[in-house]
Amino acid sequence: MTESSEQSQLLPLLNRRRMLKQSAIGFGHLAFSAMLARQAVADPLHPLAARRPHLPARAKRVIFLFMKGGPSHLDTFDYKPKLMADDGKELPFDKPRVQFAKTGTLLKSPWKFRPYGEDGMMVSELFPNVARQVDNICFLHSVHGTNAAHGGALLKLHTGSDNFVRPSMGSWITYGLGSENQDLPGFITICPTLAHGGVKNWGSAFLPAEFQGTPLGNASRPSTEARVKYARNRWLNRSQQRMQLDLLADVNKQILREAGPALDLEARINSFELAFRMQSSMPAVEDISRETAQTLQLYGMDEEITQDFGRQCLLARRFAERGVRFIQVTHSDSKVQWDQHSDLEAGHNKNALEVDKPIAGLLIDLKQRGLLEDTLVMWSGEFGRTPTAQGSNGRDHNPEGFTVWMAGGGVKAGYRHGATDEYGYFAAEKKMDVHDLHATLLHLVGLDHEQLTHRYAGRDFRLTDVSGKVHREILA
Amino acid sequence: MQRCSRLLVLLILLLVAGQGPLLQAQSAAEDEEGIRFFEKEIRPLLVEHCYKCHGPKKQESDLRVDTLQGMLDGGGTGPAVVPGEPQQSLMLHALDYQDEELQMPPDERLSDRQIASITRWIETGAPHPEAKGVVVPRREAINWESARKFWSLQPVHDSDQPVVKSRRWPSNSIDYFVLQKLEQQGLKPAAEADRGSLIRRASLDLIGLPPTVSEVRLFVEDRQSGAYQRLLERLLASPHYGERWGRFWLDVARYADSNGLDENIAHGNAWRYRDYVIAAFNDDVPYDRFLHEQLAGDLLSSDNPATRARLVTATGFLSLGPKVLAEGDQVKMEMDIIDEQLDTIGRSLIGLTIGCARCHDHKFDPFSTKDYYALAGILKSTQTMESFARIARWHEHEVATPEQQQLFDDARLKVSQTNVAISELLVKANQQLLAKLGKDANLPEKPEPQYPQEIRDQLAKLRQDALTLEAAVPSLPTAMGVKDQDATDLAVHVRGSHLKLGDVVPRRMPQVFNDAPAVDGESSGRLQLAEWLTSPQHPLTSRVMANRIWRWHFGQGLVSSADNFGRLGAAPTHPQLLDHLAAGFLKRDWSIKEMHRWIMSSSSYRMSSQYDAGSQAVDPENLLLWRFPLRRLEAESLRDSLLAVSGLLDPSMGGSMLHVGNREFFFDHTSIDKTKYDSPRRSVYLPVVRNHLYDLFSLFDYSDASVINGSRTTSTIAPQALFLMNSELIERVSSGLADRLLELDHAGAHPDRLRRERLLQLYLIAYGRPPERRELDRDQRFLSSFLQQYTSTHSDQPMSVGRQAWQALCQVILVSNEFVYIR
Repeated sequence: MTESSEQSQLLPLLNRRRMLKQSAIGFGHLAFSAMLARQAVADPLHPLAARRPHLPARAKRVIFLFMKGGPSHLDTFDYKPKLMADDGKELPFDKPRVQFAKTGTLLKSPWKFRPYGEDGMMVSELFPNVARQVDNICFLHSVHGTNAAHGGALLKLHTGSDNFVRPSMGSWITYGLGSENQDLPGFITICPTLAHGGVKNWGSAFLPAEFQGTPLGNASRPSTEARVKYARNRWLNRSQQRMQLDLLADVNKQILREAGPALDLEARINSFELAFRMQSSMPAVEDISRETAQTLQLYGMDEEITQDFGRQCLLARRFAERGVRFIQVTHSDSKVQWDQHSDLEAGHNKNALEVDKPIAGLLIDLKQRGLLEDTLVMWSGEFGRTPTAQGSNGRDHNPEGFTVWMAGGGVKAGYRHGATDEYGYFAAEKKMDVHDLHATLLHLVGLDHEQLTHRYAGRDFRLTDVSGKVHREILA
Repeated sequence: MQRCSRLLVLLILLLVAGQGPLLQAQSAAEDEEGIRFFEKEIRPLLVEHCYKCHGPKKQESDLRVDTLQGMLDGGGTGPAVVPGEPQQSLMLHALDYQDEELQMPPDERLSDRQIASITRWIETGAPHPEAKGVVVPRREAINWESARKFWSLQPVHDSDQPVVKSRRWPSNSIDYFVLQKLEQQGLKPAAEADRGSLIRRASLDLIGLPPTVSEVRLFVEDRQSGAYQRLLERLLASPHYGERWGRFWLDVARYADSNGLDENIAHGNAWRYRDYVIAAFNDDVPYDRFLHEQLAGDLLSSDNPATRARLVTATGFLSLGPKVLAEGDQVKMEMDIIDEQLDTIGRSLIGLTIGCARCHDHKFDPFSTKDYYALAGILKSTQTMESFARIARWHEHEVATPEQQQLFDDARLKVSQTNVAISELLVKANQQLLAKLGKDANLPEKPEPQYPQEIRDQLAKLRQDALTLEAAVPSLPTAMGVKDQDATDLAVHVRGSHLKLGDVVPRRMPQVFNDAPAVDGESSGRLQLAEWLTSPQHPLTSRVMANRIWRWHFGQGLVSSADNFGRLGAAPTHPQLLDHLAAGFLKRDWSIKEMHRWIMSSSSYRMSSQYDAGSQAVDPENLLLWRFPLRRLEAESLRDSLLAVSGLLDPSMGGSMLHVGNREFFFDHTSIDKTKYDSPRRSVYLPVVRNHLYDLFSLFDYSDASVINGSRTTSTIAPQALFLMNSELIERVSSGLADRLLELDHAGAHPDRLRRERLLQLYLIAYGRPPERRELDRDQRFLSSFLQQYTSTHSDQPMSVGRQAWQALCQVILVSNEFVYIR
């Protein structure tokens, strides 16, 4: 096909049938590899091999900082002078038809805002360190979701659907791009929450299992215990295991005599070798003992309040620099963390304190290592919070309009996109629904959300279902 | 109309082509010719003149012509290309330069010769290399007459037995159909599998466990005729049969012990449905009856409480789906639950994606939104939920036996008797107190402190008794399930939204099916739904289940999309065999065990999995079954086999293994993991926790447990290897197997002989065959060098080192392809 280069935006997994046929007539896997290198499709023996994107990629990898529970946009990055002024008054327009709980009158932010950066962007005193990075950040103020409960909203944000089982965005991206490191998983999620969708939020659903997220620990355990499972053997040392695997490779060839060249059997032999390599490569990334004191400080590892999340952010950088495609970091304690239905002030003060320095540290560190250019950092909760008060001093869930921010790989730095209404209840200008957010995210890593499809049960599925629009205004 | 049917023809051609050239050699050759023409003549024109504005980078007017889908979908004004219809194809209209408004390419008209080429290409059906992946959505209203002609909606037609050349090969009617297809392609079936492979295959297939050493010996040495039939009968009579085949059905029923989705709370009583399914398979309940029970067990007559309990438990089938229990919009929640039920019924029982018609007429299959809401009305008239308030509660039936009920009633009676005694005592004490305080006095607000001590003691004792008795009341067993509620019809929800209602549609079966029974106005209509589905004339129910049974025996279905028999599903590789099986299923009175006897007695089933380069070249996917497909054990069989050969398996049956109460959180906001999987029971009894399956399950391609899955995939990923190298389970089973080998100890036997004896046992236990000479030598070398390597670095007792070496060897054998794959 003469246009093969132009046609290669379509990256289907290689036709299994053609492949099996090739193996039958003796091309063997070597011939595949050559063919695969030309065609940029997933190789069944090396499914995580890096693949060419559809479009010129702005970012090569993603670090997603997920703030579980729904941080308030109104008290952090979306400054609303009118809300400050009308404290205690009735909301002058209708509340959403379906609300999570009853809320009362308008509640002003208990925190002061002040301008930062070249353009004087308003950020509250909750995030003094992140605020100093606003010139690297692109704020998306008009994001809106569909579900007012944690579970539905988490699933929507992570998978694009709040009521069907769908692959998570990290799986889609790894499916589309493969990974740049064959000794590590392509999609890693550090200390994820097991509630509210749990595994579904990093599952690959109907995409091949290679593309599911690999969890390190979970939200109920400190990040010092964040380790990949089954990577350590309790009864054999490394050289004994090596002996075992050599024997296994020989034993496994036995069945091939009867079964003939069978790809899944060959793949299985390979999988043990990859596992053996992962056993040493994973702990090496998890081991931060050789980071300098300066670096540790940057992430707040020297302070009790920031060290847990700081470690997560530092691990994210370590995975990023080793070519892992999608890394998620979750800020969630064993409660719903940012979910301040009451005691907004105390709760958000503590939460922001835990993450502010580590996040700023991550941005600074990525930048000084030249990684921020092609790493997209995304910060988001599952929704924002209401401008109206729940009880006397809390805010309810608000999926109708909230703020997500991005930094690095391909987004405009020091930029604000879209807006909520004057009180910050509903997305109002340049509205960006979750599908739009996903379409834009995919675009930034070089994937066309309409072409990134997978055929399952007779249908072509996409992360963005049947909608989604790339918000080109935010592209650098 | 004409266009529609032409499209349909094209579509069928495309679908058939998708099955590979070997099935339709003729059309495939034409196809290839057409694609060559496209690549040589047409694509270069498109690239040169159109891609710039309608290609990968830019899509002016939303049109792109660099993909077939793009051309078929067209831009804002309609499809650019309608295969076979040059008149209707806007592309030609634009190329023609007759329309002032629409002239393409804008700078200059193409030459007449070029336009003629494109016209010819469209006339011949627009052949395109991407055609396999593209199905043309329907653009106009459903044409019911032509829709009924789709293969899976045609009545089941049992053909005459095909004529074959190798008349000695077939053992029963199935083989004629298989052989005919093979012979058409010049292929030969593989020879019969050896006895060792056959018993291993049949055992893992029917009961999910490998045969024991003595079972293998008995079978291999049984030279009397009918040995294989006797083997099948033994396996079919085993209670483990239901544990294996019931589990397949649980995949179809998206069975789980927790809700999953947003609020992951325990289905504390779902296990009763699981045990019902296992028993139904063991009892060989006819499939039509089995469906009646699951769809409408509550409406069936029963003459005793035990039967009644069994029947209402069966309706758990409708209730087990994942639900958004914290959905704030309660009407939406109810409609979402109904949608999940409809989707499950459609795909599990008749292989149709009815759920797609919730928002618009089905784009591919003949289902209108009216059909959808007509069926949805049946479920709206059915009570699944007790309450929709957050966190919503599903309904449960009481399923107590008379004895349990009696115990419960007695205990409750004692509680109420005590409560009566308390009130009587209070009345009496108050009267006495009033009398004591004098005529005009009012009873004080808190009279009790003024009672005499004796009465106060009596009261305290009675109250204590009441508490104790209350605590002693046994809880009555309940089971998830549905029942009828007020019968109502639903209005069409415009674009699926309950806020925008259209016409009310009476409850009825989908319009595409003729002769469906009417729903009577009084009841929900579930009974009629079950009757209609299991009518012998139903084109799908028997086909879908016959295909499932085939799929579970062979690892691949005759229709590879086991849950989709619609236009987007795959076409059958053996259409006549499929109908023969479906008709045979009816003839066997829907008996699933009879289907096993039939299928497993065929020569097709008993073939070896021996590779053949020539056959592989013709049919690389083995779609035509020139050999028995090699396949990996499912997650459950893998775990159960590991436990079985290491002597650790606990074969006890049934009951709940949850350690979380009914409706309690498996995972609340704390993320604390309350799941436990360290039991030695069979895998079918381990809790199925949605969103957090047991690692072994999720690693080895278990069903997702949230949606129906009649055909699990088989992945091969490094985390599986990590699990088999390092998990606690593998440590336990390899150690258990090593212990079994080390128990063999002939007093005074020479160590070398003992070693060989143990190796022999290892191979017999794990593989059902003795080791070859080469394997013996190799494994002995491994044991020796493991010992050497170890003793050079450690000073442990040689005995324990020896054990470790054996354990290491056992692990290798247990995780090897030969153990993990069925031949």
